[in-house]
Amino acid sequence: MAVTETTKKWGMVVDQNRCIGCWTCAIGCKEINNEPLGFFWNRVLTAAPGETTGETSSAVADPASESIDVPHGTFPDVEMAYMPVACQHCTDAPCVKVCPVGATFRRDDGTVLVDYERCIGCRYCMAACPYGIRVFNWGDAQQPVDFTVGYGKDYRTDGRLVFTPDRPRGVVEKCTLCVERIDSGEQPFCVEVCPAGARVFGDLNDPESEVSQLVGEGGAAQLLPDLGTDPRVFYLPVDRERSV
Amino acid sequence: MATVEAPAPRGVPFGRAGNGVVAALGVLVLWGLAAWIYQLTQGLIATGMRDVVSWGLYIFTFAFFVGLSAGGLIMASASEVFGVKSLRPLARLGVLTAAACVLVAAMTIIPDLGNPQRVWELFRYPNWSSPLIWDILIIIVYFAFAVADLTVMSRRTTERSVRAKRLRVLAYVGLPTAVLLHSITAWIFGLQVSRPWWNTALMAPLFVTSAILSGTALVALAALAAQRYDRIHLPDETWKALAGLMAAAIAVDLFLVACDYITILWGNVPRERAALDIILPGGSWQALFWLEWVVGGIVPFVLLVVPRYRGRVGLFALASVLTMVGVYAFRIELVVGGMLRPLLHLPPGNALGSYKLGQTVFQFDGVYHPTWVEYAIVTGLFAFLALLILVGYRWLRPVERER
Repeated sequence: MAVTETTKKWGMVVDQNRCIGCWTCAIGCKEINNEPLGFFWNRVLTAAPGETTGETSSAVADPASESIDVPHGTFPDVEMAYMPVACQHCTDAPCVKVCPVGATFRRDDGTVLVDYERCIGCRYCMAACPYGIRVFNWGDAQQPVDFTVGYGKDYRTDGRLVFTPDRPRGVVEKCTLCVERIDSGEQPFCVEVCPAGARVFGDLNDPESEVSQLVGEGGAAQLLPDLGTDPRVFYLPVDRERSV
Repeated sequence: MATVEAPAPRGVPFGRAGNGVVAALGVLVLWGLAAWIYQLTQGLIATGMRDVVSWGLYIFTFAFFVGLSAGGLIMASASEVFGVKSLRPLARLGVLTAAACVLVAAMTIIPDLGNPQRVWELFRYPNWSSPLIWDILIIIVYFAFAVADLTVMSRRTTERSVRAKRLRVLAYVGLPTAVLLHSITAWIFGLQVSRPWWNTALMAPLFVTSAILSGTALVALAALAAQRYDRIHLPDETWKALAGLMAAAIAVDLFLVACDYITILWGNVPRERAALDIILPGGSWQALFWLEWVVGGIVPFVLLVVPRYRGRVGLFALASVLTMVGVYAFRIELVVGGMLRPLLHLPPGNALGSYKLGQTVFQFDGVYHPTWVEYAIVTGLFAFLALLILVGYRWLRPVERER
């Protein structure tokens, strides 16, 4: 509700030149959102440089290994890049289209959210998401500690429960773009905790914002753009010229 | 039960043995129900599904049951719409199986839901862009239609000409309804850009064909059982038509699957090859390939078309069962094949959504082993389907007996 009077179009850019693959964003995400054990709304994938760019993403290259941090190629011709992946907040989101009861919905500012009180747990959205970012509460949430961490309260937008620290069984959940934080003018937690400054968050409707600049002249690209999902998360591929 | 029916002149179909079967099926249904109650107490963690392979036994059984329901409309419409009179004696039996199958298909979705108590929301907050909503709608329409068809067929008091006219109208409406049912169920999968293995325009034709195939096989099996235990009499042309229809459906079905394989193999696009390679000989799920192509494809086809084997009751029953096995394998191949390899196939993979001390929570390639809970629930659903058809048969006596 806090955002309805403005016409924000939230976007994020991940600079792969800067990402060091430390997983701080993934762990910060788990912490702020009290994610149960076995849940990762945000993961850091080991990729090849350029995998995210438009021309190669239609045929995502085979991974170098099943293990993380293994580069492509043979020494000395090796290359590697990190690709943190959470919800891409697609403009034409497959999950929103397939949800039979409208539990997954898209706000005017582009944030794709799940209503914990509406979800029937059919998991059609998990089948429909090309990025594999959704997690399901298969059983009762297991927590490493016996107290709640992070934001710690329920959060509602237009009356709909889009975050709760105590997970109900049988619902799908995912990255909320830290809706409770951005609605009060803060940055998503992954952006705030990144020690390498690899994440930039802002308003894509504002041509002067850093995200708009990076998406425009910066050449930031979407993940799997050929699918037509039109994500609001962009990746700045590794620039070989700059790294010399 | 037999005593209640005693005044009936012809005795109860599937008399004594039938009672035993009903009791056995009842036990299996109760066992399935008990497993579902256990699953409700634990959550879906009691299943083998996790975040990578997030649909399993329930969903491919659902798709299988929807396909099985095709039998009725084929039998009813074949005579009315296409003038294939030889299938007319099976019209009522066909519609009975259709009603039972589509009802049990709808029930099969329930144990797959994380929050089954919220199922009413499907009617309160329908999202019309979701193929699932359309599927639920067409399932309800199809079930209502099958019940109406059955009512008209069973009402002997109605004047002959009036009844014939009503049946004709129902057949003409029923045929497109059936095609829609199978197409919309196919589109649950076929419309998803996230799963290259599903995302083919062939999906609806494939579902329609495999539905005709398995639906006919089910009616044939029911008719064979009725012939054995209820001494019904069906003319030779009826059996011939059934065998011919099944053989043709097997051929078209395998042709469509082959078209899909060839397109993927020739194109050689990695993300499309990924799922196919898992199923083709040498892949980790290659059993499905053999079940679909040989056990449920070539073998029943030979049994149905080679003159030496034709007309042998045991072999015909075997061909019907194998056909259904093949179609079920196709459903597994479809659902699991689409989910084993995530589109972003990069280490460490996807989080599972569950945690065990000392084990990784990441899964690079999908793994799926159904648990006893899933097997028990699905067995219960199969038993309930058999029970509905058997009890419905006893009640309606859908096939003329020999005098």
